[in-house]
Amino acid sequence: MKKVLVLLILASLLAMTSVAIARDVVVAEPGQEVRMLLLPKFLGILVFDEANQGALEAAAELENPAPLIFDGPTPENSVAGQIEIVTNAVTQGIQALMISNNAGDQIAPAAQAALDAGLTVVTWDSPIPSAVGEQVFVAQVDFNETGKVLADMALSILGEEGGQFAILSASPDAANQNAWIAAMQEVLASDPAYANLELLTIVYGNDQSEESYNQALGLVDAYPELDLIVAPTSVGGPAAAKALQDEGLCGEGTDNSVVVTGLMLPSEVLAYVENGCIPEFALWSFVDLGYLTYYVTYLLATGAIEAEPGVMFEAGRMGTYEITEDPTRENGLRVLMGPFSIYNIENIYAAVGMEAPE
Amino acid sequence: MQRAINGLKRWETLLFIIFIGTVLNNVAQSPAYLNPNNFINLFQLSIEKIIVAITMTFIIINGEIDLSVASIMGMAACIMARLYDVGVPLETGIVIALASGALAGAFNGFWVAVVGLPSLAVTLAGLVGYRGIARIMLEDRSIGGFPGWFNAFGQQPVLGSLTLGIVVFIILFLVGAIILHRSAFGRYVYAIGSNKEAAIYAGVRVQRVKMTLFIASGMVAALAGLLIAARFGAVRGNTADGFELDIVTMVLLGGVSIFGGSGTLVGVGLAILIILNLRNGMSLINITGNTQTLVIGVLLILSVLIPNWGRAVQTWIMRQRLRSAELAKGGER
Repeated sequence: MKKVLVLLILASLLAMTSVAIARDVVVAEPGQEVRMLLLPKFLGILVFDEANQGALEAAAELENPAPLIFDGPTPENSVAGQIEIVTNAVTQGIQALMISNNAGDQIAPAAQAALDAGLTVVTWDSPIPSAVGEQVFVAQVDFNETGKVLADMALSILGEEGGQFAILSASPDAANQNAWIAAMQEVLASDPAYANLELLTIVYGNDQSEESYNQALGLVDAYPELDLIVAPTSVGGPAAAKALQDEGLCGEGTDNSVVVTGLMLPSEVLAYVENGCIPEFALWSFVDLGYLTYYVTYLLATGAIEAEPGVMFEAGRMGTYEITEDPTRENGLRVLMGPFSIYNIENIYAAVGMEAPE
Repeated sequence: MQRAINGLKRWETLLFIIFIGTVLNNVAQSPAYLNPNNFINLFQLSIEKIIVAITMTFIIINGEIDLSVASIMGMAACIMARLYDVGVPLETGIVIALASGALAGAFNGFWVAVVGLPSLAVTLAGLVGYRGIARIMLEDRSIGGFPGWFNAFGQQPVLGSLTLGIVVFIILFLVGAIILHRSAFGRYVYAIGSNKEAAIYAGVRVQRVKMTLFIASGMVAALAGLLIAARFGAVRGNTADGFELDIVTMVLLGGVSIFGGSGTLVGVGLAILIILNLRNGMSLINITGNTQTLVIGVLLILSVLIPNWGRAVQTWIMRQRLRSAELAKGGER
């Protein structure tokens, strides 16, 4: 408490001396013990492991004596499993939860119970749609911007004359993917530049390789005119590219009649970028997302900041961030990380740390 | 017969020992385990499965299986949610959802009991079909925002610190135990399960018993589906997806023979306690879901192997005795 006071006094002194600083930027005080749990949608997905790396980096910087727990459900038991982990976290005496929600509003009662029990609850990657049970959401990118990026990539691949595309998403209840798709549809409808892009259907591969692969095959069978699959999921993207490649629709020795774009991890799709199945895709850094999430949660749990709009804080190497109202959800608060990186054959080698072949 | 009864007793004793072992291990591993709330949570987190395990016990002892229960749970929840979404009062939706469960059960029962098709095939079709209805009802949407009183039934205590689900489970378990072990209907269930032909000749109304069991199974599954809707506060097409295997696991671990005719509800009750406590203990020390599934899988394999080994050893000993008796006779001559 004393330290917080000192900080406040220091900060207000700063504010007095410099007119330019309008609000206080809170800096975390390292070394406080907070038992924190990072809960991904499920285990066994590379992007979540990267987020964990970022969180561990932040934990080391903040010298939190309590080890970070990284635990998630199995993919086929994601909803019930996440609810179980949140419920048991209260019993275990966990003090702060960081949830990438895969259960839609179904997790809200369990998350609210955790909040009521005095835990700090922050969501990242995918929020609780109703914002019930969550203090703040750490958004990777602006959801509307994601829609724009997806639409732009589709346009740049299909060109002015346009074409037909389908969306291969994760689970129907994944709040992040749903919001991106909705934003993309809005962009497509609002601007005549996209008038020639026709969305045929949306299918769900539940972030499982096999299921996504089969869904992609189903798409090609059902829509012979299909030109492009947009996969806003790091699992669906490579699975769809593999399906198209196996069908001889893209890759070496083909005319790349059907290709894939979306949100993917460079290291997982290098081969498909090389053979033309994925001409272009986008993503943000999951390491940074885990890092930023840890900072926000630590600051909230130690009482250094409150979850209120306008609160500003420093997140280590990533700089200053602000808590704002979430424009994509009523009653929700968010911290926006941003920005996007667009990858193609030009820059993917650098992204995966390889030399480009001659 | 006496030996069979002893065998059962031994199996339940073994389960009881495993249960005590699990509890002691949990106490040693995690101080949070003994938290009173934890015992409520432990049941709450699997409450829908253990309710359906009670009717599943009857079905399997009867020599059948019902793989469609999880799909019926999802279907009932989706029907209720959809009706609520289009403006039907929730009370009416609940009644219709329960009726849909009974109807689905009757449909299963018709093909199994009247037409005589194997329940494995019939209810496997049900698993796909009823899930299909659930998905058509909600089409990839998620419906929530039910009235507070409904959600409270799934989340808040109604009796002391017990939730509605736990109260339902306790009542169903006690009523089920009385019917199965103390009534004529219960004896018919066993008789049909151990030898259907003999039961028919003995005048047991096999069709009626089987029909009753499948309708009860469908209705209880629908009730469990509504409970999960209340607990989660929202429903989607894949609600309760895959629960049937966990439910069958509980029943088999409880010592119920997959071929029918033997097993007790007490054994299933113990198996439920073992699985829930084992899972809970592992969760509390952050053992991941994959490992939990593995441990329970090993437990199930052992539960199938141990009785068979026991029987093999018994047979071997009996043969040895017979042989030595014959040798002794030969010696007299």
